[in-house]
Order: sequence, then C-alpha cells, then structure tokens
Amino acid sequence: MQLSIAITPPLVHFSRQRAAFILLVPLVVGLVVFAIYPAIYLVALSLTKSTLGQPFKSWVWGSNYLWAGGGDGGVFLTSLLRSAVFALTVTGLELVAGTALALLLLKPRRGDSLIRGSILLPLMTPPVLVGTAWKLMLAPAGGLVNGKLQAWGVIDAPISFLGSQPWADISLIVADVWQWTPFIAIMAYAALKQVPGDVVEAARLDGASEGRIFWTILLPLTAPALAAIFVLRLVMAFKTFDLVYILTYGGPGNSTALPNFGIWRLAMRSFDVGLAAAETVLFAVFISLVLLPVLRLHKRFEERT
Amino acid sequence: MGDTDKIAGVALDRRNFLKGAAAAAAGATFGVSPLLASRAYAGQELNLTIIQPHAVTGEYLKKEFLEKFGVTLNFTVIPYDQIQAQATLDVQSGANRFDVHDYWYATIGALAEDKVVEDLTDLIEKDKALVQPEDFLPAIYDPYSLVNGRRYGLPYDGDIHLLYYNNEILARNGIGVPKTWDDYYNAVKLVTEKEKANGIYGAAVLGFKVPIILISTYGNRLAGFGGSFLKDGKPNLLSEEAIAAAEELVRVAPYALPTPSETAFEQGLPAFLAGKTAFIEFWSDLGVRAQDPANSKIVDKWGAAPVPLGGNNKANVASLNAGFGWAISTGSKKKALAWEFVRWATSADVTLQLLTLQNSGIDPARTSGLNAGSYKSFAPKVQAAIAASSKTLTWPNGPQSPKLLEALTEQLSLALNGQIKPKDALAAAQKEWEHLLA
Repeated sequence: MQLSIAITPPLVHFSRQRAAFILLVPLVVGLVVFAIYPAIYLVALSLTKSTLGQPFKSWVWGSNYLWAGGGDGGVFLTSLLRSAVFALTVTGLELVAGTALALLLLKPRRGDSLIRGSILLPLMTPPVLVGTAWKLMLAPAGGLVNGKLQAWGVIDAPISFLGSQPWADISLIVADVWQWTPFIAIMAYAALKQVPGDVVEAARLDGASEGRIFWTILLPLTAPALAAIFVLRLVMAFKTFDLVYILTYGGPGNSTALPNFGIWRLAMRSFDVGLAAAETVLFAVFISLVLLPVLRLHKRFEERT
Repeated sequence: MGDTDKIAGVALDRRNFLKGAAAAAAGATFGVSPLLASRAYAGQELNLTIIQPHAVTGEYLKKEFLEKFGVTLNFTVIPYDQIQAQATLDVQSGANRFDVHDYWYATIGALAEDKVVEDLTDLIEKDKALVQPEDFLPAIYDPYSLVNGRRYGLPYDGDIHLLYYNNEILARNGIGVPKTWDDYYNAVKLVTEKEKANGIYGAAVLGFKVPIILISTYGNRLAGFGGSFLKDGKPNLLSEEAIAAAEELVRVAPYALPTPSETAFEQGLPAFLAGKTAFIEFWSDLGVRAQDPANSKIVDKWGAAPVPLGGNNKANVASLNAGFGWAISTGSKKKALAWEFVRWATSADVTLQLLTLQNSGIDPARTSGLNAGSYKSFAPKVQAAIAASSKTLTWPNGPQSPKLLEALTEQLSLALNGQIKPKDALAAAQKEWEHLLA
C-alpha cells in the first residue's frame, strides 16, 4: 500500500502506457509480418509483370486487372461466379444435412460416442485421399459406381462422371458434402446442446410435435450459431482446391475450375505470378462482397436472440 | 561462371595428374575427363533433381558415379510436372540446394530466361571431343538445348510417341496396322462397336487436361498431318493441318476407352497392358514394359509403328512429346563437378547403358544409341519404329512455352469434351498465343 502511494501519478500513467505498448508489440509485429506485409507485397506483385523466376520484372500497373476483368474472355469472372454457386450450394446442403444429423445425435442411444467418432471419419481423412477415393469410385472403367449401375441394368454404358457436365459439378458437390457434413453436424450438435432442456421438455409436455419443437424452439434459439457455422464453412468452401485438383483438374474444359485452382495454375503452371496475384486480390474482394449479406443476416439473428 | 568454376577447389597436384594421365586412355573411351577418371572429386557430393519416371535411371547413375569416380549423387525425385517450378524456386528463393536439374525440353527457354540454368555453350565447345555433339540426334539436339543461339543443357532422353497395337485384337477383327489416321479411326470404331460389351475398346486416347498428356496426343496427329505449332516463330494453329489434327482427335473420342478427358497414364497404360484396348499412343519405353510379365498380359502380343499419317503428308513425322536433358543450376557452388556429371550422364556410353536398362524410362537421344546392336536386340520393334520416323515436330520451347502449352491444353480439352468445335478451340488458342508472343 505504501509503495503504491510512493509512485507519483505521472509515473503510473507512463508505466501503464509503456506496458500497454509492450503488450501490443507482439500483435503489431504479427499483423505486420502475417497480414500487412503479405497484402502489400501481393498488391504490388499484381501491378507487375512477374514470373516465378523473376518477380517484379516490370511495372504493368492495371493491365493484369484488365486481363482478369474480362480480357481473358471472361474465364476468371466466370470462375468467380462458379465459386459462389459451388460454395453456397455445398454449404447450404451441408448445413441442412449436418443439422439433421445433429438432431439424430441428440437422442440418447447406446454407443453414442462411437457413432459420433465414426461420423467424423470423412472429416479426418486427408482431402487428397477423399479425392482419390471418389475418383476411383467414379471411374468409367472399373469404377464402383459405374460397375454397380451397369450390373443393375440402370445404364448400358459407363457415365463419365468426372469428364462430362453436369456430372462433374454434381460429383464435386457430392464429394464435398460427404467430406464436410460431419463437421457441420458436430458444430450444430454443440449448438443444439446449448438449448435449455427444460424449454424443450415443457413444449413436449404441452403436446408439441418434434417438428414443431424444432421449428419454433430449437431453430430460432440456435440460429445465430448455425449462421456462424454457415459463414465459417462458406469461407472454407470458397477456398476449395484439393477436390478440384484430384477429381477433375478443372475439367471438362474449364467448367469446374474454381478460382483457387485457376490461380494455382497461373502461378505454378504458367508461372504468371503477376496475373495470379491480381486474380487473388480480385478473389478476396469478391469473397468479401458475397459474405457481406451473410454476415448481416448473422448479425440480425444475434440481435433477435 | 564465377569462382566456383575453378574445379570446386580440387588441386591438380602431381599425384592427381599421374592418376589422371593413367586414367585418360580409359576415360576417353567412356567420355569422361581425365580429372574425373582420376577420382579427383572422390568424397564430394552433388544434389540433383530427377523426374519420378526416371527414378530407376537415378539409381543406376548414382551407383555408377560412386563406383567409378567416388562422387555421391543425391537425387530428389520430383513429379514430372513440377520439375520446372522446383528448379525455379530453388534458385529464386536463394536456397540453391541443387547443382543439376533434370529438365523437360519445352521449358528450357523459360529456365534460361529466368536465369535458373547455366549457359553451357563455351563448356560444350571446349569439351567437344568428349561431348560429341554431332552424335546427338539432330532433331533433338537443338530443341533440347538451344535458346537464342546459346546452349543451356544436354539431352539424355529423347522422347517420342509410337502407335502401339495389340496383335490379338487386330487379328480377330481382321484389322491391319493403320497407316493413316483415317485407318486408325475406322479400326478403333470397329473394335469398340464389336467388343465394347466385353470391356474391350478400340483405343486408350490419353486426353487428360495436362500439357504433357493432351498435347502429346494432339501432337501425334499434328505431326501425322505434317503441321507445326509455330511457323517462323508465329502461332500456326489455324493451319489446315492443325485443324484437321484437332478434328481427328475429337472424332475418335466417342470410341475410345471412356472417357479420353479422364484418361491419363494411370488409366490408359493398365488398360493397354491388360489387353483391354487395341491401340495406345505412348513413349517408346512402353515397348520394354509390354514385354515384362510382371506388368503386362500382352507379352509377345503387341507391336509398335510410327504414328499414322494424315492429309497430304507422306513422311513419318514424330512429335517430340516430353524429352529430358541435364542442366546446371545457376545456384550451384560445384559447377565444375556438375559439368563433369552432365557430360558423363549424356555421353554415348552411359545413355546406351540406360537405353538397355529395364524400366529406366530412357529413349534414344544419340544416333549411336539408336543404331547400337544392343539396343536393337533389347527393343527391336521399338527401335525399328523410331528409326522409321524421318522428321520431328518440335513443341514450343521459348520463354513463353509454359503459358502457350497451358492455353492450348485448355482449348483442346474443351473441344475434346464437345463444348466447342475443334476449329473454334484452335482459334481461341491462336488468339491467346498471339497475345502471349506479341
């Protein structure tokens, strides 16, 4: 007590300021190293003609953006729209399927922990292996799916699931949903567990059906959490690369080439690092624009509850 | 080259000199310098990249180089489609881990432009007697090494495609070996229509959307029709031959092993070696694999021929699909030793040993190898088919080549899937090539 009295107010103020500054240093350094510097480097790179071997060869200013913005015949812009359709579709399907799975998990039954563990298997499998497994299953010659369909007389010739449209899109969606639904299910299960049990019990005692309980109690109460899960998964879906690389390599033609895959091809196959950087910047802006209404929706749900 | 050129600190003392002189006579026979033959570099190491299909070659070179010269070769095996990126990043990042790179010839212009590989012109000239440049197959030597009048590497694997066929399938369908692409189409169609129900197809058409696969398949047809990718350095994709080649590729697709756009090496090769397809276009080393009972159900039941002809073309032309050489990294600190390795590994003796080594993945790059008795008896059908090709079709190999090949692959893939017409695909590729080469 005496010690604190001995310290003069200005010194206390100075020490607090210094302590605050010191505490902020790691955050600032982290931000500079991991966010600000890479962002500045990326934007600068996008304004140059750069190859993998010779970054910053010459300044070309906006010409990479002009090329990506339509000069390439709309290839990149189309891939942006494709990514939005893909991300929204898979996220929507996974949210519905994952929530349904979570509702099933809510009912206590024997072997609960084993079931919960086993549904996580697809999630724990490396994406490359998921892609390889689906590629083998969907192969036209010797693939499980074609083999069974032919054996049952459903088809008389193999379907090119990965080499023709709309099958290639459907195959990608199915593989993605198979892999990521367990993730949503576990998150949704955690959210549903937070709903007070007595509210649900009271509704049951009042004779409410399970469907009514879900729509009027469970869903409204977990909406903010489910919206947050949706946002998280949406961002992840926009970044899909592995499945496209393994399953279709962007084909047939470029009809399944999502922006991540296209940017990788530009940088690591064509070695046009400048254009790849410009497309990365545009892609980041595009994702932000798509996320804005979703984030607003999330905020509204939070305010309601 | 800089200070590191000075034979990597190896002193040419009296002992080494005498050893070198003694080894000189034997050394000359094997295309190695007296210094290397004297084991003056013994105890040193070299780091090299090598493509995955050449892994067996790497093992052989490692063993021989260590036994003969006491130098350890540390090979890093890399997927063939990532070799350029690895080499470039190694130098650009300053890591400089590698001394020697296995390179695909179509990337030599880009590697030289990005200063990833050393200019070897003066070294080749200085060691002409050991290098024997006149022995390299003329159609291969320049495309594999020459960029703007300077040489940046030496070839050791001269890859072309041949048309492989299954004798049994052809015989039971009354088909001869196709001489033209029209014959080929009719044969493929006939076999598929008759035997599809038994899981046997006319051909495995490799149409997966990566340049080394799809452009090889297109290149075979372009070569057959006598066309070219570039003419006087300008895109030539709208020539009559180029369009006919693309149309031929698209025409056969419905009768091929389903489906060409999903068919890469791992789908096409097993199908042919299991006797499930009548034809496949593939590199000449398939002839060795097809005779290996461990991998093949068609031992002694296959044949190889030059790729068919098309249009008015009457001469067999081989498309230089893939093909690799050795180059020295600009980041190497052991350039003199690296040069010793490159010269030795591309020598007539070593490449001949590799030609006759099971599963080496190496095809003739030298005239002496192609005409050697040991190679003729090791792969007689393949040797005859290669020797029958009088001309070659070179892929673009300038600095823009990676982009050009990606752009063409994209468009060919669209055509192969029926999303656009072959002519429109080539028109789009031509436009992009003009933009890239402007």
